[in-house]
Amino acid sequence: MTRIVVPIGPQHPALKEPVNFRVVTDGERIVDLELNLSYSHRGIEKAAEQRDFIRVLPLIERVCGICSHSHATVFSKGIEEIMGVEIPPRAQYIRTIIAELERMHSHMLWLGVAAHEVGFNTLFMWTWRDREAVLDTLEELSGNRVHYNMNEIGGVRLDLSPSQVEAALARMPVLEERIRAYVGMVEDEETMLTRFRGVGSLSREEALSFGAVGPTARASGVDYDVRKDDPYLVYDEIPWNVVTDTNGDVYGRTKVRIGEIAESLGIVRHCLENLPGGPIRAEAPKAAPPGEILSRYEAPRGEVAHFIRTNGTARVERVDIRTPTLANWTSVAHCLIGRPLADVPVIVAAIDPCLSCTSRITLVKSGGDLGKDAPPPNGPRGWSR
Amino acid sequence: MIEPLTLDGVANAVAGVAGAVDKASTNRIRVRTTREGLRDVIRRVQWLLPCDRLVSISTVDTTESIELHYHLIGQHRTVVTVTVELPRDAPEIETVSDLLPSAALYERQIHDLFGVVFRGHPGLTRLILNDDWPRDEHPLRKDWKPVAGTFYGGAGRRGPG
Repeated sequence: MTRIVVPIGPQHPALKEPVNFRVVTDGERIVDLELNLSYSHRGIEKAAEQRDFIRVLPLIERVCGICSHSHATVFSKGIEEIMGVEIPPRAQYIRTIIAELERMHSHMLWLGVAAHEVGFNTLFMWTWRDREAVLDTLEELSGNRVHYNMNEIGGVRLDLSPSQVEAALARMPVLEERIRAYVGMVEDEETMLTRFRGVGSLSREEALSFGAVGPTARASGVDYDVRKDDPYLVYDEIPWNVVTDTNGDVYGRTKVRIGEIAESLGIVRHCLENLPGGPIRAEAPKAAPPGEILSRYEAPRGEVAHFIRTNGTARVERVDIRTPTLANWTSVAHCLIGRPLADVPVIVAAIDPCLSCTSRITLVKSGGDLGKDAPPPNGPRGWSR
Repeated sequence: MIEPLTLDGVANAVAGVAGAVDKASTNRIRVRTTREGLRDVIRRVQWLLPCDRLVSISTVDTTESIELHYHLIGQHRTVVTVTVELPRDAPEIETVSDLLPSAALYERQIHDLFGVVFRGHPGLTRLILNDDWPRDEHPLRKDWKPVAGTFYGGAGRRGPG
């Protein structure tokens, strides 16, 4: 049968970020796929080598517009470990509060986008309305809705006043109620069940072998979560659970994310209620001794890894950033093969792709005549072997 | 959860194929090897320790050599980092994308930004940089600087507007 190449993106109503797909279809089925993600490389890793730590933090925050606190925290905690600086408990709690609020707003944004991709715009409106409560809290605590700029090497920039803590706690009951509504909705809302179930299936073995991270991997029964595996901040002192699921499809990823919103809310509440006193900053030296660290952090989309090398000055010798979206692309490409064309938006959306922080291109399966970038014939499907 | 890996456990698993093994910090074990030994070490780490997921491949240009750090993790939650040094003038190494499918993307990224050639890679094409970026310039190398008069892509100098 004739195969048709359908180009989608980089500007396309079904895709919210600069990505280009060349989807090869046989009728309605996707038989081959090429992704092009190279539209927004900004050279942040190079720029970070030219600035001292104080100036690197705002730059690193701008790797991603959603998980900005994630990148700043994983970088600061790496530098602090090299310096041997222990940050005060109050600073650790504040970092954790911002981190989990960030996870909540990121997952709520995702839930809205995923609902929108399947035409369930009511849910889109609901989640984005409720997300505003989280963003308002973040704004009250940090002064900013998106780039909170809370981190400093050695602690945090701003303290929380008792009235701020009280105001944040006052928003929790409403959010708790809304999250309970989502938990119920994912169980019995027909639109979500039909469009999410069995779509984008990924087995546990595939998730591991393709290097999937975060909710994408946890929905396939992989229980990796850096907060548990490599505890940082206060995650080993406070009560919370890793959320996993065994469905392995978009439905599973939705359930994991909704479960994580609920867990995050519990963490935020616990940290606000048990916020220890004391300073918010430890005295940190300007320069870091020569050293090297792989700093890991569980961002909303999955594990972020910063490989940092210092050279005795106030600048890094090298910071190598691996974003979760890059780790997830191989599994997405694999999930799409064999699915109908209409599933492209929802399967892509299911990893919650963040393209500006990833800015990569990938290529899947052998295709024959896909042009200069095509892999050799009989090449691997999703690079599987 | 399985117990974390010990330094001795890792050293035994890679004995004979790798160089020095040391504990980089808590929960991190580093294995040094050569480019000839890399695939054997990765296989041992994968099957004997075992590590089931590649976290990332980090790259450092030290101005004397290019270092690759393959970070792997398993149910034991210990990160095993396999480190290889490549000469800067001929940075070539065998691919591991057949052993670890997720490595294929990371290798293409490193190829693009550092000019490392991964032999046997199924499609070592451009990944991050724009298509009209000069072929022989690798911007994350320490000595890279934009050359005046060189075209680095984009519409500015090409299009009518």
